[in-house]
Amino acid sequence: MSYLSEKFRPTERGLILFAAVVLLPVFFLPVFPIWHMHLRAPQYPEGLNLAIYTNTIRGDVDKINMLNHYVGMHAITAADFREFSYMPQLLTGFGVLALLAGLTGRRWLAMLGWLAFTGFAVYMFRDYVLWLYHYGHDLDPRAAIKLQVFTPPVIGFKQMANFKVWSYPGLGTWLLGVAWALGPIAVLAERYGRSRSRAHEVASGTVGA
Amino acid sequence: MRRGSRFGIAVALAVTLGAVVAGCVATQGGGAAGSAAEKVYVKPGEKDAYYAFLSGGHHGNVYVYGIPSCRHITTIPVFTPEPAVGYGNDEESKAMLGGYTWGDAHHPGLSETDGDYDGRWLFINDMPNARIARIDLKDFKTRQIYGPIPNISAAHACPFPTPNTEYVFAASRFSVPVPNRGVKVEDYAKDFKGIIAGIKVDPKSGEMSMGFEIQMPPFDWDLSDAGKGPSLGWQFFTCYNSEMAYDSLEIKASQNEMDYFAAVDWRAAQKAVDEGKATTINGAPVLDPQKVKDFVYLIPVPKSPHGVDVDPSGQYVCCSGKLQAEVSVYSFAKIKAAIDAKKFEGDKMGVPTLKFEDCLEAKVPVGLGPLHTQFDNKGFAYTSLFLDSQIAKWKVGPPWNVVDKIDVYYSIGHLMASEGDTRHPTGDYVVALDKLSKDRYLSVGPTHPEAAQLIDLRGPKMELLYDFPTYLEPHYAQMIRADKLHPITVYPLAENDKPGAIKRAEDARIERKGNRVDVFGLVVRSHFTPDIVKVNQGDDVYFHWTNLEQDDDIAHGFGILWSSKNMQIEPGETKTIRWTAEKTGINPFYCSNFCSALHQEMQGYIEVRAKGSPQAAIVRPDAKTIAEINALLAAR
Repeated sequence: MSYLSEKFRPTERGLILFAAVVLLPVFFLPVFPIWHMHLRAPQYPEGLNLAIYTNTIRGDVDKINMLNHYVGMHAITAADFREFSYMPQLLTGFGVLALLAGLTGRRWLAMLGWLAFTGFAVYMFRDYVLWLYHYGHDLDPRAAIKLQVFTPPVIGFKQMANFKVWSYPGLGTWLLGVAWALGPIAVLAERYGRSRSRAHEVASGTVGA
Repeated sequence: MRRGSRFGIAVALAVTLGAVVAGCVATQGGGAAGSAAEKVYVKPGEKDAYYAFLSGGHHGNVYVYGIPSCRHITTIPVFTPEPAVGYGNDEESKAMLGGYTWGDAHHPGLSETDGDYDGRWLFINDMPNARIARIDLKDFKTRQIYGPIPNISAAHACPFPTPNTEYVFAASRFSVPVPNRGVKVEDYAKDFKGIIAGIKVDPKSGEMSMGFEIQMPPFDWDLSDAGKGPSLGWQFFTCYNSEMAYDSLEIKASQNEMDYFAAVDWRAAQKAVDEGKATTINGAPVLDPQKVKDFVYLIPVPKSPHGVDVDPSGQYVCCSGKLQAEVSVYSFAKIKAAIDAKKFEGDKMGVPTLKFEDCLEAKVPVGLGPLHTQFDNKGFAYTSLFLDSQIAKWKVGPPWNVVDKIDVYYSIGHLMASEGDTRHPTGDYVVALDKLSKDRYLSVGPTHPEAAQLIDLRGPKMELLYDFPTYLEPHYAQMIRADKLHPITVYPLAENDKPGAIKRAEDARIERKGNRVDVFGLVVRSHFTPDIVKVNQGDDVYFHWTNLEQDDDIAHGFGILWSSKNMQIEPGETKTIRWTAEKTGINPFYCSNFCSALHQEMQGYIEVRAKGSPQAAIVRPDAKTIAEINALLAAR
């Protein structure tokens, strides 16, 4: 209990503040996509791209929808994603938590924020997989071209009919990952620092072995 | 040993670098080194270094080729209907053609800024109907046809834009009475007039409008070119038939030792018109040099000249005396000095004539039948020789000598050098545009194709690279560096403000007012909305189709069975076509341009009921259709 009520040292506070800074561009400026999909077919040598942001979806959405309507896939539209209405706010919340934890150095606040952030990440990933499942399974039975139900690649490569599809995290996700990793790094850094200073104290004889 | 190995490495590096550089050139289409075959070979998937715009002659259109591969890329319909895309068939292009179904397109002229091609527009003339078209190079579509230009009879010396595209010009090749009226042909010298017209070009939109006209002697005004550099502000026009023959021209118009070229100070001409010194004839302000002075002059040229071409520096005006074996080169500085000193030898119907010797700089003995001249970036000129079937390369400047000749096949008319009539020719290629092909290609019977040869100008000697047929009949042509053009590949739907355009399924409808029916419809892979259209016999049906696609190359067609009604609608575009319901019964329609995997299914029916059958004033698609289409478009 006392561990949680203690404060972080300035070094770790700095790391946590840095996590808040890393979160910044993702929540304030949705300029870094969190996920990419790249599609290639013989007649699309330059490829088609989808870029998912925290608040919208961009790229060749119209072109992809036009192709997908042949197999009866639901049109991809930003309006369908409730996620876009809360993701930026939640990320802002995590940023503010990190900022507060960094400024106050309250260990419990940092831990709580990190745990919530982890939960959020797991939830969003699951949500993303479910969306992909939905697009590949909930097909219009009246579609001109009847396909076996499928799940587009969550991450990595998949051949789908005449399209090669690559799916991979964007810079936004990498930034979120860095912010997330700074939590355990702060804890480990503190432990390492403590054991060093303890060893130093032992060596200098200020503390008895 | 060390030194030796270092040297070896340096050589290896140089060789590698050389190979890399050569490779880079090759990816631009056609390297400078290697065999002729290598120089014209553009690898699959790679693109040519130049666009070439060849006039289609009496086919009335423009052919677009890639150089150096000499691949025919497309044909732009201009003065002639083109059924595949529906040019002249949809209401807008039909109105632009103004009832004409033929034109004779001779001289493409690329728009210029500071005397160099700027890649904005291509102008081209229709000689017989005295019209000028403007093709927008953003989408390679004819956007304006100006004319028939009043009082102009056969616009051959046309359009030859000025260095900042301030004007395009037209001049009468076959003089007629102005205004045209019932006179005797035998009164030619008295009643017939030549006309030179300066047509203003709007610097932003490219829209052409009347600037001024000049009444000239009834000679046959033949070709033109714009002054540049020191001669900026002047336009030059050659003529033959200063004999003023009206019959047997072959003999009678070839008698004089000297004909002329005219030099027009177009700023002064425009100023005179703006000051109200012109007489309005058929709506055009015509200046009469007998009354208004100091803006047009005649300079003698030997033996029925054809081409007049200004060198890249703008100092020299080169006239090809087609019945003489020489190019007469005039110094603009001398012409200007003679004009300023008013050293005239007389006048022709009010137009002062200068003295030949006062203006001539040099005579270049190029060979027989010189017609046209183009230029390179090393100080050489290239003149086509119709009778010799050759191109002569000669030095612009002392000693004014011919340095090389090359055979072409056969009877060359114009020639087209890469940016060869600008202030900065690139000196890479010249294309011979021949009038006869004879035995050059697989025979296709008596109607021979025309012939063209690609010639490399980069070496000290001209080198024949390729020989290719063209369809009837390129006259002049223009070659522009490909990196100067940036065409759009779809029309942005958001910018489509055509009156017949609709962008949402809710707006699709069939409207009836009396016996006029307007169908506002959508085309998108792979259906028409609406695809059932019910009308009555005798109805005038206007189909306004908007293509909702925004993907490259997804054009849709609209063709109606048992009719001549067909058109192509490009992504983001709206086009209107009119069809009359003549007989009761069923008329299928379909997508005539292969669009997608379900193209065959892209069809619909027009149901023509008996005259006077009850019809709703407005019919819309059902809610389910609207929902389906909107789902496709929701992301926009």
